[in-house]
Amino acid sequence: MKKKVIGLIDGQSGNIGSINKAIKDIIKGRPYQLKIIKSHFNYTSFDKIILPGQGAYATLMSNLKKLKIIQPLKKYLENNSSYLGICVGMQILSDRGYEEKITRGLGIISGDIKKFRNKKLIIPHMGWNTINLNKDDTIITNSFEKKDFYFVHSYIFQNIKKSDVLAFTLYGQKFPSIVKKGNIYGVQFHPEKSHKHGLNLIKNYILKS
Amino acid sequence: MLKTRIIPCLDVIKNKVVKGVNFKNIRVMGNAVEMAKYYSLSGADELCMLDINASYQNRKTFIKTVESIAKVINIPLTVGGGVSDLSDITDLLNAGADKVSINSAAVKNPKLIRQASLRHGSQCIVVAIDGKRHKNKMKVVIKGGREITKNELITWAKQVQSLGAGEILMTSMDTDGVQNGFDSNMLKKVTSNVGIPVIASGGVGSLEHFYLGYLTKSTGLLAASVFHSRKYKIKTVKKYLSSKGVPVRL
Repeated sequence: MKKKVIGLIDGQSGNIGSINKAIKDIIKGRPYQLKIIKSHFNYTSFDKIILPGQGAYATLMSNLKKLKIIQPLKKYLENNSSYLGICVGMQILSDRGYEEKITRGLGIISGDIKKFRNKKLIIPHMGWNTINLNKDDTIITNSFEKKDFYFVHSYIFQNIKKSDVLAFTLYGQKFPSIVKKGNIYGVQFHPEKSHKHGLNLIKNYILKS
Repeated sequence: MLKTRIIPCLDVIKNKVVKGVNFKNIRVMGNAVEMAKYYSLSGADELCMLDINASYQNRKTFIKTVESIAKVINIPLTVGGGVSDLSDITDLLNAGADKVSINSAAVKNPKLIRQASLRHGSQCIVVAIDGKRHKNKMKVVIKGGREITKNELITWAKQVQSLGAGEILMTSMDTDGVQNGFDSNMLKKVTSNVGIPVIASGGVGSLEHFYLGYLTKSTGLLAASVFHSRKYKIKTVKKYLSSKGVPVRL
């Protein structure tokens, strides 16, 4: 049987060690192989792509540009291929980011990434918070309803279509914590830091899609 | 709703968790990797580890310990102690730390906070502040409280926020190690003057102390001895807080 190929993009935006290890543990003894993407790649040779990110939107976009990853990644996503974006890896699916300066995103899920509106909030939103599912999903199943995940961010998805929001979280306001369009998923939290529910989410993404 | 974080803190020399007051009577409490694994499994929301004797000789082993811990836990890891420049921060992040805590080096060279947060993002830069009352004023101290700096506590807390710190780890040297409770007064002063998360540290001895810490609006509560001595399990603390209406991850 041909092995499924998972690509893990190293956008030089934070450490990929935790997610790398999580994926390796999950695929051990299963028909999958993991490849780290650090430069231009052939988008037809991957079955799944995971992009973790930390830090600023503009930084991740400019890193991906320098590494010549943007063009194949856009093609891959426009094909509705399977993708999981984590934190900033989710945010860059949007049209624009407003962190530091206005930066063009990948434009896959329409909306903007803007700061939390409530000025009294403690920012960054840092710690464990609950996700509330809007609908049933094959990967983000009911078992994740009202579970806590680890968040650390100051910017959120805004002006997004309701139909693209799979789960929301409350912090001063409702904001999208999981977005989904076709086979493309984005999570605002860090599943790789979210203990067993986080690992189960990554496991579902890899094995169920 | 955002949960209040319960954070066990490991004071580490090489690969051992130790306990000692002001570097005297140091006792080994256990193996750092084993203890980190235990806390991650038993419900800690985050883990903090500090190199309390960051000599050149001990540092290599400490970094190896960070690497080993990062491999066995899947909750956030904050690492500090002996961080003096940007390359120390990069080394710790590369070893698997999610956040790096800077203390004395930030006091001596505040620009380091800005440089570090620009390079790695505010979310992974924690500034640890040790506070102490001196002549009716709250001052910033370094070297475990032995050296009083010219910095006023609140001015410094505001300054580290504007320099780009993502979080403040606030220890009161007036209450640390005594187990009579957090320094509520000092913590409230800090939380009401900054808009970034504050972790309360220093002084926990009972369950009620955790609740009083929550009331200071600190979003993380850090403790060492009560966990290492097995006086309380993390679950016990969380169940107690939950019964008092505090949002925790159970």
